[in-house]
Amino acid sequence: MRGYLKVLAVVAVLALVGAACGGDDDGGGATGSTATGGTGGEITPGGTFKAAMLSDVTAGFDPQKEYYAVAWAFYRCCLARTLMSYDPNDPDSTHLVPDLAAAAPEISPDGLTWVFTIKDGITFGPPYEDVEITAQDFIRAFERMGTPEVAASYYFYYLDTESQGGVVGFSDFYNGDADSIEGLVAVDDKTLEIHLNRPAGDFGYRVAMPATAPIPEGASENHVDDYGRFLVSSGPYMFEGSEQITDDTPAPGYEPGKSITLVRNPSWDPATDEIRKAYVDQIDVAIGGTAEDNQNKVDAGELDVEYDGIPPAEAIRRYSTDPELQDRLFVNSSDGVRFLWMNLAVPPFDDVAVRRAVNYAIDRDGLRRLRGGETVGDIATHMIIPSLEAGALEGYDPFPSPNHAGDIDAAKLEMANSKYDTDGDGVCDAPECENVQFVTDEASPYAEQAALVQDNLEPLGITLDVKAFERSTMYNKYFNPKEHVPFGGGAGWFKDYADAYTFVYPLFYGPNILDAGNTNYPMLGADADQLDKYGYTEEFGVTEVPSIDEQAEACFALVVPEERTTCFAEVDRILSEEIAAYVPYLFDNDVTIISERTQNYVYSGFDSLMALDQVALANGGA
Amino acid sequence: MGRYLIRRTLFLILVLFIVSIITFVVFVKLPAQDPALRAAGRSPTPQLIATIREKFGLDRPLYVQYSRFARGLVPWPGLFLDEEVYFSYTNHVAVREEIYSRVPVSATLTFGAAVIWLAVGIPIGIVSAIKPRSLFDRAGMIFALIGVSAPVFWLGLLSLYVFWFKLGWLPGSGIPPDETIPQAVLAGRFILPWGVLALAFAAFYSRMVRGNLIETMSEDYIRTARAKGISENRVIFKHGLRASLTPVVTMLGLDLGILLGGAVITETVFNLPGLGQYAIRSLLNSDFPAIMGVTLFASFCIVVGNLLVDVAYAFLDPRVRYT
Repeated sequence: MRGYLKVLAVVAVLALVGAACGGDDDGGGATGSTATGGTGGEITPGGTFKAAMLSDVTAGFDPQKEYYAVAWAFYRCCLARTLMSYDPNDPDSTHLVPDLAAAAPEISPDGLTWVFTIKDGITFGPPYEDVEITAQDFIRAFERMGTPEVAASYYFYYLDTESQGGVVGFSDFYNGDADSIEGLVAVDDKTLEIHLNRPAGDFGYRVAMPATAPIPEGASENHVDDYGRFLVSSGPYMFEGSEQITDDTPAPGYEPGKSITLVRNPSWDPATDEIRKAYVDQIDVAIGGTAEDNQNKVDAGELDVEYDGIPPAEAIRRYSTDPELQDRLFVNSSDGVRFLWMNLAVPPFDDVAVRRAVNYAIDRDGLRRLRGGETVGDIATHMIIPSLEAGALEGYDPFPSPNHAGDIDAAKLEMANSKYDTDGDGVCDAPECENVQFVTDEASPYAEQAALVQDNLEPLGITLDVKAFERSTMYNKYFNPKEHVPFGGGAGWFKDYADAYTFVYPLFYGPNILDAGNTNYPMLGADADQLDKYGYTEEFGVTEVPSIDEQAEACFALVVPEERTTCFAEVDRILSEEIAAYVPYLFDNDVTIISERTQNYVYSGFDSLMALDQVALANGGA
Repeated sequence: MGRYLIRRTLFLILVLFIVSIITFVVFVKLPAQDPALRAAGRSPTPQLIATIREKFGLDRPLYVQYSRFARGLVPWPGLFLDEEVYFSYTNHVAVREEIYSRVPVSATLTFGAAVIWLAVGIPIGIVSAIKPRSLFDRAGMIFALIGVSAPVFWLGLLSLYVFWFKLGWLPGSGIPPDETIPQAVLAGRFILPWGVLALAFAAFYSRMVRGNLIETMSEDYIRTARAKGISENRVIFKHGLRASLTPVVTMLGLDLGILLGGAVITETVFNLPGLGQYAIRSLLNSDFPAIMGVTLFASFCIVVGNLLVDVAYAFLDPRVRYT
């Protein structure tokens, strides 16, 4: 036991690496550069980096509300330093390093107390440039996240529950049963003690999340809904005009839906920051427009990068084939998986034989081709992204087929075992297989993918009634367990941080089935009460579905990275092979094209985007 | 005239009332997503949803819910688009602030384009009408066909590609954050959007002027005017055109109203931060307060445009009298 705890203390924080590798150089088969690059030459600081985004961030830049990689990228690079963070220059850019913490935390032998010492002499950006960052400022951020009225997005990672190691008292605070979070103690201005209810191997990652970044006293209290525009920076940049922020006046540098202008934060001292280079003086982001137009601007040198979308297919082809342009194309794994899913509580998918048959029949390569081919990612054969399992399932393919194009013979053999194939001929002959509702996105390529899935399943006797909706409407149907969606085609999931917990807990864990915002779409692990509550028992007579809760809880409790990844890999295997409620088909790539003058492209594994704190411009942008 | 204006204003209020009820029912009572869920963030608990329902009054009777929004429609300081109610669920900005900041962009786009489409469409229509079946008339017909048939998004992307990307004659899309609207106009950033938006309208207006003028020129009073020896130009411009422009004014009022409420595609293609861009984003995000605000603002523009058209009739058509 003692030896085990020693291992815990040493490796649990900085060596959480083992669970990670999210920013690996998974090129996805495209010709192009990965990880780092850009126009070579000496780096001269200065200039204005010009980016564009097709859409704004999703919650007005509020650090507690934003659950969007692009917003997280801005926080990490520029606006919101955290106790721990990530160095994009590290070959494993999901490796945790101290940021506002002076060093790695001291962890008690039982793994329940984490003590962070905060760096001296770091002050907030304007208008709080005279205020030094203290332990209480972190507690303020946690409390804001735990305030229900704020509607924070990922507070659940900090709840202390029977199945999850969280901050002691966080649940009570969230439920209104306490005025403060018992497990957060400011021992003094520079010492923050965090008490957990049970060991959590991934807690280091959780204090690297933007929602835990410090907030000075007085900055957010009157902005329950709209702190984003009043955000006080702790990073190398800030919204332009932040010095003008008052209770009524937001920073003019963020115009929601229109533009983001980041300028240097005069409070930031590079000597206190080993991660960020902050080469450019200013970052201008125009919001809106079209991907084609933005790409033309990158080609013409008017824009340095299109930050939140995939470049048009024509541009990807051009940049991947033209030798003079290839070094401006970057393809990296974005640590996400795209998949179809089947509802375990809705016939005919309550039968594992049907689900396995579907897994065999689907042409995964065809689904990928419709998204753009090899450049957009590798074929997925299991649900948890490889980087979170340290490659434990490399080569694993429980439903093999030539070129991943589907194997209808194998599918029929599976179907023959189903109760819905009464004559055992490999073709479903039950009415449950007719007009199965397939809910997907109406936009390309999902509509085309739906047609392919229809073709793939027809030989099995499964006919689909495709219902295509606008994306948010589609997700609203997925999120609501009372909708009884039987089969979904437009879903994807990306890691929150470099631990498989961020897949297993929200996607596959029964107790996390929610009335609203439910992401356990197939109802995996739903108990009899839940099935009754959401109407499955009454409508379909289903009282029991498969579960991986027991295995998942065993993994949650592990703190040694290697044991944790191995455990989660086994969960993934059970999910993929024995439960087979999902048809994963793509491990997604991020594709970025930069302007000719852009230097020092570095990929940030945390947010799966280009690191704006590392980028530079040729000749300082002159 | 005074009584007429009062009557029309009351009618305007009635129209806005009906639009507000329809919008409310469609987006609050029959929504793609429960407004409370939309506002509750990514991972809401049942308690949080209940809290938000209470906060937004969504647990109250329907008429109480509607009255919260209806209050914000009263054009009175402090009431109009009241921030307590009209506050975006998505970016947490007051709808009024968004609308006020975007109206100048939409107005600049609309009025600039209107000047162009009138300056191009009416002369083409006149010449086509007075020289029917001539080469010019046929060219005008082809222009109209192209203008009406070419989708704005395609025309927008094409014009950007040709005039900005390939030839470099004009600026590309968007308005830099540090540039005011007058500066953007002077920098030529509106030339392409004006041109693209105006093309479709100019084509339509030219066909309308042509048809009306041909019809008018066959009226008895035109023949009488000619018999009296009045010059042909005077017959066309004073007697013929004046009468044939009445429907043009009707259309212009409505078109200006519609476009002031947002030229959705043009603003999207040219990345102009106007009301159209705001409307489409609000719809995609199911951001109900923003949808309600922008819909009613657009309706207001349309009914006011219609009112102004009716008033303008008195000056154009002597037969119209207000009672």
